Amino acid sequence: MELFVAGLSHKTAPIGVREQLAVEEDKLREVIGAIHAEGIFSELMILSTCNRVEVYGVAEVPGEARALAFRHLCRQRGADPASLEPLVYTKSETEAVQHCFRVASSLDSMILGEPQILGQLKEAFALARSCQTVGPVLHAVMTRAFAVAKKVRTETGVARHAVSVSFAAIELARKIFGSLDGKAVLLIGTGKMGELAAKHLVEQGAFPIYVTNRTWSAAQELARAMAGTAVPFEEHLATLAQVDIVISSTGAPEPIVRREDVQRALHARRSRPLFFIDIAVPRDVEPAVNDLENVFCYDIDDLRQVVEANIRERLREAQKAEALVEREVGKWAARLQDLEVVPTIVSLREKLETIRQGEVARALSRIPDAPPETRAAIEALSQSIVNKILHVPIVKLRESSRSGHGRRVTELVSDLFGLSRNGNPEGDDE
Amino acid sequence: MSASLFYLALLGYLAATALALTYLIQRHEGIYRFAALATQAGWILHTLSLVVRGVELSRPPLGTFQEAISVLVWAAVLLELWSERQFGVKVLSAFVLPVAFIFGLSTVTLPEGIRDLNPALRSAWVSVHVILALIGIAAFVLNFAGALMYLLQERQLKSKRQGTFYYRLPSLETLDRMTSRTLTLGFPFLTLGLILGIVWAGSIWGTVLRWDPLVLFSFLAWVVYAATLSGRAVAGWRGRRAAYFAILGFMALLLTLGAGLFLPGRHGGL
Repeated sequence: MELFVAGLSHKTAPIGVREQLAVEEDKLREVIGAIHAEGIFSELMILSTCNRVEVYGVAEVPGEARALAFRHLCRQRGADPASLEPLVYTKSETEAVQHCFRVASSLDSMILGEPQILGQLKEAFALARSCQTVGPVLHAVMTRAFAVAKKVRTETGVARHAVSVSFAAIELARKIFGSLDGKAVLLIGTGKMGELAAKHLVEQGAFPIYVTNRTWSAAQELARAMAGTAVPFEEHLATLAQVDIVISSTGAPEPIVRREDVQRALHARRSRPLFFIDIAVPRDVEPAVNDLENVFCYDIDDLRQVVEANIRERLREAQKAEALVEREVGKWAARLQDLEVVPTIVSLREKLETIRQGEVARALSRIPDAPPETRAAIEALSQSIVNKILHVPIVKLRESSRSGHGRRVTELVSDLFGLSRNGNPEGDDE
Repeated sequence: MSASLFYLALLGYLAATALALTYLIQRHEGIYRFAALATQAGWILHTLSLVVRGVELSRPPLGTFQEAISVLVWAAVLLELWSERQFGVKVLSAFVLPVAFIFGLSTVTLPEGIRDLNPALRSAWVSVHVILALIGIAAFVLNFAGALMYLLQERQLKSKRQGTFYYRLPSLETLDRMTSRTLTLGFPFLTLGLILGIVWAGSIWGTVLRWDPLVLFSFLAWVVYAATLSGRAVAGWRGRRAAYFAILGFMALLLTLGAGLFLPGRHGGL
């Protein structure tokens, strides 16, 4: 039995190919059922997102299982399995585990550190479980992968910093104000991006929200949608004294907030910080506003620059995350090696011990009046024979696991001694 | 015995300083845990060294200027450990520990004995005066660190260049709150300490004011802090202006300590 993963992702296949394989959840249930019914997979799970389609499986002959799975997946939209072949990667055993950990930790994602993939992997796992195609191997690998992903998220900054302009603006606001709870926001103009940024602020607890626009009805409409207050456009400068964050996205050809306007508002503010997010082009807020004490003004280019810096920061953190995953894979492999040979050693011991006890009992029943010393001597003799016989095989088993041949040797030993697969002695002795 | 314990404590602080600075750049949680451990270990050793010294001399370890600075370092590290939790600022140690370590080192590099306190000054009242002033100064070490971090973060935000400090330092709001809290904590202690000193000087010498550099600088520091406190309370100062004043006040305190160590005056005779 071998664990493997086979699939294609944004790194190996263009969207045109990925979309031919993507399967929605209802269909996926059928596909999993159909593949599993063929009896080649002993365990099976399929992850299907817009960026990757991957088959996680445990099978006797991975190559055959993989071909079968992709035949079924291709059948959905009539893709040609042969044309996919060069795009599909296959990893087995430790490499498969490593791949799974990296995917769960979002290190293999298109946007490094994006949080959705972990949820998608969890859903895929839940679906496979409800189809009853998850066995001990996938269960162990996946639960470990979820734990590793959590560790990567908390111990490294790979998902820490915003990689979209509107979230970068929110993050800047948090660097200035700490908590955004109860921070007042003025939204100037009704542009989509401004609205989006304002919504993020509201999610973070910002309140109240003032909306202003040259067209009064548009201001009122947006104010209603955001549960805010509409302010007449002529009064927006007066509002500066009361708000903490200003988002501006009008189509005005000239700046509508000038340095003098802000300076006037500052007296009433008692040097509470004021943050301008200017996403309009041409700019709505005069850049010189940034020179005023306790005032911060970011235009769209500044925000893009923050995003770029954040991406670089994520890349730096990704190195730490890769090292962490590497360590976890190492731990996994070490534990797996032990798991591989220990049951065989135990059942081999048990088997010989049962034989020994049976034979000793039979021998002693033939000499009922044997003195205790004789009984003890027979007992000791039998034990030492068994131990001597077992010594070399046990040493060899341990060595084989360390050199990576554990599976082959345990199978051989199980065959030779008639041990069952799950580790228990098979049948009675004689 | 107390001296070797103190050397061990200094070694702990040195390790903690190096680890805290590494954490500031690397941001590896494991390094942070080691830095915190080294700080705590150093502080415990430091506590032991102070206790042992007190027992050895059978008086509070506040008799010489070196001893006083050692107690100051002890109080500053304790406050640092507390504020780190209170304000959730893990990089705080990177700003406080270097100062604490340099102060601690200064006490051992100076020859022992030259700064013994005038025996006339050995009284419980003087100990209280020293302790109050030292707690105040320890709070101002934190105040200084908070202000420095504020200015660094503000620069990052104003210049729109996201460097290490932008990612590592907390929000301006947190830093300003920390600077404000440490000011309100330190100021009453410093004030009471100074008043006790004045009262004591009046009762023993009959005169309150005499040419004494330490007294002069400590009053200068007090005036700066008093101005900041009233500016914050009345005029709503905050942020950069408050931070500049915090740094100015700390410079005056450094001069005070320097005067105590190197210049003649009532606090130590040459």
